Amino acid sequence: MQKLGWTALAVLLLGACAQETVTPAADTDDADTGDTTSAEAASSDGPVRPPLDPYPSTYAAYPSGPVLLANATVLTGAGDRIDGGSVLMQDGKIVAVGADLEAPEGASVIDAEGKWVTPGVIDIHSHLGNYPSPSTDSTSDGNEATAPSTAEVWTEHSVWPQDAGFTRALAGGVTSLQILPGSANLFGGRSVVLKNVPSRTTQGMKFPGAPYGMKMACGENPKRVYGERGGPGTRMGNFSGYRSSWIEARDYKKSWDDYWADYDEWADGDGEDDAPEAPARDLQLETLAGVLNGDILVNMHCYRADEMAFVLDMTEEFDYDVTSFHHAIEAYKVADMLAEKGVCAAVWADWWGFKLEAYDTVPQNAALVHAQPGGCTVIHSDHALGIQRLNQETAKAVDAGRRAGIDIAPETAIQWITANAARAMGILDQTGTLEAGKMADVVVWNGNPFSVYAQAEQVYIDGALMYDRADAARSPRMDFELGQLGEDEFTGGAGQ
Amino acid sequence: MSAVTIKTLFSSAVIAVIGVVSASAQTTAIMNGEVHTAAGGVIENGDVIITNGRITQVGADLSAPAGATVVDAEGKVVTPGIFAPLSTIGLVEIGLDAEANDAGPQREVGFPLGAALDAVDAYNPSSILIPINRAGGVTRALSAPQAGDSLFGGRAAVIDMSGRTNSITKRQAAQILEMGYSGATRAGDTRMGAWALLREYLDEARSYAANPNDYVRRPRDGRFAVSDLRALGPVIAGDQPLIVSVNGAKDIRTLIRLKNTYSLDVIIAGGSEAWREAEALATAGIPVILDPLFNLPAQFEDLGATLENAARLNEAGVRISFYNPPGFGAHNLRLLTQQAGNAVANGLPHDAAIAALTINPAEMFDLDGQLGSLEPGKVADVVIWEGDPLELDTQPEAVFINGQRQDLGHRQQMLSDRYRDLSRGDLPHAYRGGE
Repeated sequence: MQKLGWTALAVLLLGACAQETVTPAADTDDADTGDTTSAEAASSDGPVRPPLDPYPSTYAAYPSGPVLLANATVLTGAGDRIDGGSVLMQDGKIVAVGADLEAPEGASVIDAEGKWVTPGVIDIHSHLGNYPSPSTDSTSDGNEATAPSTAEVWTEHSVWPQDAGFTRALAGGVTSLQILPGSANLFGGRSVVLKNVPSRTTQGMKFPGAPYGMKMACGENPKRVYGERGGPGTRMGNFSGYRSSWIEARDYKKSWDDYWADYDEWADGDGEDDAPEAPARDLQLETLAGVLNGDILVNMHCYRADEMAFVLDMTEEFDYDVTSFHHAIEAYKVADMLAEKGVCAAVWADWWGFKLEAYDTVPQNAALVHAQPGGCTVIHSDHALGIQRLNQETAKAVDAGRRAGIDIAPETAIQWITANAARAMGILDQTGTLEAGKMADVVVWNGNPFSVYAQAEQVYIDGALMYDRADAARSPRMDFELGQLGEDEFTGGAGQ
Repeated sequence: MSAVTIKTLFSSAVIAVIGVVSASAQTTAIMNGEVHTAAGGVIENGDVIITNGRITQVGADLSAPAGATVVDAEGKVVTPGIFAPLSTIGLVEIGLDAEANDAGPQREVGFPLGAALDAVDAYNPSSILIPINRAGGVTRALSAPQAGDSLFGGRAAVIDMSGRTNSITKRQAAQILEMGYSGATRAGDTRMGAWALLREYLDEARSYAANPNDYVRRPRDGRFAVSDLRALGPVIAGDQPLIVSVNGAKDIRTLIRLKNTYSLDVIIAGGSEAWREAEALATAGIPVILDPLFNLPAQFEDLGATLENAARLNEAGVRISFYNPPGFGAHNLRLLTQQAGNAVANGLPHDAAIAALTINPAEMFDLDGQLGSLEPGKVADVVIWEGDPLELDTQPEAVFINGQRQDLGHRQQMLSDRYRDLSRGDLPHAYRGGE
């Protein structure tokens, strides 16, 4: 890492993108789709329907007993702060949050006096797994930079669950994260949302029921990658690429909608004619059609204000939504437009200057986006070190806001790396806040998480203690790190 | 040729006395602050008196001299200015914009020179990066070239962050060298190649230095540019620090052997596994400039990377400082304090962190007689902080360089001010601010 130069950074930043979430389960039609094998089902069993979730999550929470975290400063992620507060977890869920909670029989009671308790940190923009450690040609799987539109790729097929970066992120309080394809392409492919619990398989980490996202990219990256490889070579080329694809996607969606309508009509008929023939499947257009259907959430890597404004018009032209702009260096110049459209800006606190479209960074960006009525700020990492301290990045952005006259309380700021991220990833109904019924994804900090000295002491995911700074047995170590360094007996792990 | 002669040859490259600008007698009295001197102690309710650009008094219960500009620092923390020991400040404006990036030659284009390059030739004191980082308390930095196809990056200069046209503190303050896997990629993709090539360079530089006139007249190996060999003179004389990028313990062990063989003044950059050789580094007197946030097995030479690197090295008696990758860093030198805070969270004593940001870099470049601490006689690089300098909600309230109070405004602040109000207004945003 120390020797990463600008070229390497460029590769890293190509990772940046926009994400969309697709919720297969949200599709009312999939009830009769059944399992993945029905994708090409014979017409006698109903119409052909492409599989919505052919690589389903096998994640399951680890066992946990009831736990009462008592007497802490609780930031609920729902906007509240409770001094002397308690959080009760049971069966993997948040049961209650309040000032005076009774411990149920058999509960472990943890006196958290002096500690701060928050929802698990969520990173909306990560490349853990698809640009893992060690970083070699062998493991560089984040950018399918072979064509400007690769909406057909699914980044879960690149994610290496043995990336040691997951463990370091866990020690930083990260309980859920979205892995995005890189930003070399206009359409980079599908994202995947993970729970930060190690597994032998990527399916074992997939966040149950999370919608898919799709990555798109504005500006310099596609130009730079394809400018001498057939294009696009300009920003206008980028937009013509997006628009041509949306036109194709609209036609593709219509061909399937028409087919299902024809099928229903045929099924209601006398059965004398042959069943209508399903259109040919196209993986690329299937993902784009998923966006047009509202199932897949668009994560749009975009730095410049003028480009974000054009993207917003493009969503009108083709009737889809961008859920979040990523990096959004110049979001502060169009923060009103983003707020009006309900689009989140996922930003860094202070990264800048690595390319011209990142020249106009201001540390107040996050706060200026937040200050708009309806503004939605998310702090993201896009980086295997940054993901370990999203709390610190938030603290700096909050402080910059304060100096601009925008006061943001800790109970609000925590939402930038919890609830707001969850909202933009389509999982806010399941996690992102400490509210009864939600997943018990909880971090116990040794103090105010917005201090440079703060450390996550315990991290619970679905109620199970997955990291404990004081207990080496609760510190995951990936296969790659075992047995390294010989006599130094250094085995890596979450606390390193 | 003796080392003494070599020193004479190159002595013109070193500015021994830092020029302090002073049109007329100026005295500033910083009163009643929590003064972290970086010279062995914290003075509660301490005062720092600055006259004509230099610190004249440091202590408790001092009296402000008559006519002094008094700065009340009650409730504030006063430290020496932050000294960034490794950066490309002034050489890079925009990383990926070739015309705005002079930090080093492009890779794999066969550009023949390395050690001969000199940061002073390209240093831009008007870079917008300077006021942005100055506002974060950075007062001095090493502006260092990064290696292209050569193992060597070239000569780095210590600069002050005033943005003055003449802001070079010490030219040719260090030579830059890439080893480890980074060096291997410049030497046949093997570390053996990098070490062998380095020894060849050092031997050739010795040969050149022994008799330059003879060397240039006789047939010689065209792989070594005379200008590179000449530039390595102070390095082989042990007069100029050689900043060596290495990470793995195995490379560090080889480097220690080579340092002893050639009597070099070596500083390690990176050093993700330096803690594994902490005792040996302390014994060899090799300082380490590291990123205290780096804790990933990003490459095989980083398998031992840990957040405790800084604390373990300091505990063993190794002089440490911090830098801000990627590359050597330039845009966010203002974050060195945050990095230091994380080192403290992982075991480094707070006063050691302050030293790593101030006096340690000054010592690395043999400037500790003039910079790096708050002591009488030293150049007045002083920062008054709102509170703990390492905390995330703390910024400098005042920054002095060479005794001059600095403007803390910068382009990012102007942009933020311009777009604070997004209403259409009477005129476009392009007419707002900056007048």
